[in-house]
Amino acid sequence: MHARTPGGRNVIQYKARKPSRPHCSGCGTLLHGMKAMLSRALSAIPKTNKRPERPYGGMLCSSCMRRTIIEQARQ
Amino acid sequence: MIDVGRICVKIAGRDAGKKCVVVDVIDDNYVLIDGETRRRKSNILHIEPLDQSADIKKGASHETVAKAVEKLGWQLHAPKTKPKTVKPRHARRSKLAQAPAPVAEKKPAVKKPAVTETPAKKAAPAEKKA
Repeated sequence: MHARTPGGRNVIQYKARKPSRPHCSGCGTLLHGMKAMLSRALSAIPKTNKRPERPYGGMLCSSCMRRTIIEQARQ
Repeated sequence: MIDVGRICVKIAGRDAGKKCVVVDVIDDNYVLIDGETRRRKSNILHIEPLDQSADIKKGASHETVAKAVEKLGWQLHAPKTKPKTVKPRHARRSKLAQAPAPVAEKKPAVKKPAVTETPAKKAAPAEKKA
C-alpha cells in the first residue's frame, strides 16, 4: 500500500507485492537463474527459463548439488 | 586416480549425476569423457572418480566404451531404435468418397440382429401378459 499525492490530493494506490526469491533448500542461499515473479506470470514462460537445467536445478545451489551427488556416488 | 578407463560421475552442468568413462587424458586439468554423458572434454574438478574402471584403450570409440561398460554391469543409453509402428495413413478425400461402400454394408449387418431381437423381446412379455 502506498499513499501518494498526485495533483495535490492524497490517493491510496495498491501495489502488488513481489514474491520472495527462491532459496537453496540445503544452505539457504539465493538460487541463481531463478525467476521471482507472480505465479500467473511464471506460468506464461517455459520451464527452462525458470531454473537451471541440471539435477536438483531450482532446488539446490550448485555446490550443494555437487555434494549430494558425490555422497550418492561414494555409497 | 584419474586414468584412461576410470569410471566417474559428472558433478557439474546438465550432465551432472551421470556416469562416464575417461577416454583420454588431455592435460593436467582436462580429460575426454564418454558414456551416459555426451562425449566431451571435461575439467577434472567436474568429475568424481569411482573405484571401478573399464578395460578400454586411449581414445576408444563410443561403441567400445559401451561394450566395456556392459561388462561392469551398467548399460549406456541405447540409441533410440523404436520398432516402426505402421500407422494408417490418411487417405485422400477422393478415395474416402469411394470407400464408404463397405462401411454401409457393415452397419446394417450390426443393426439387423438388434432389430430382430427387440420385437422378440417385446413379443415375449406380451405373451406372458396374455
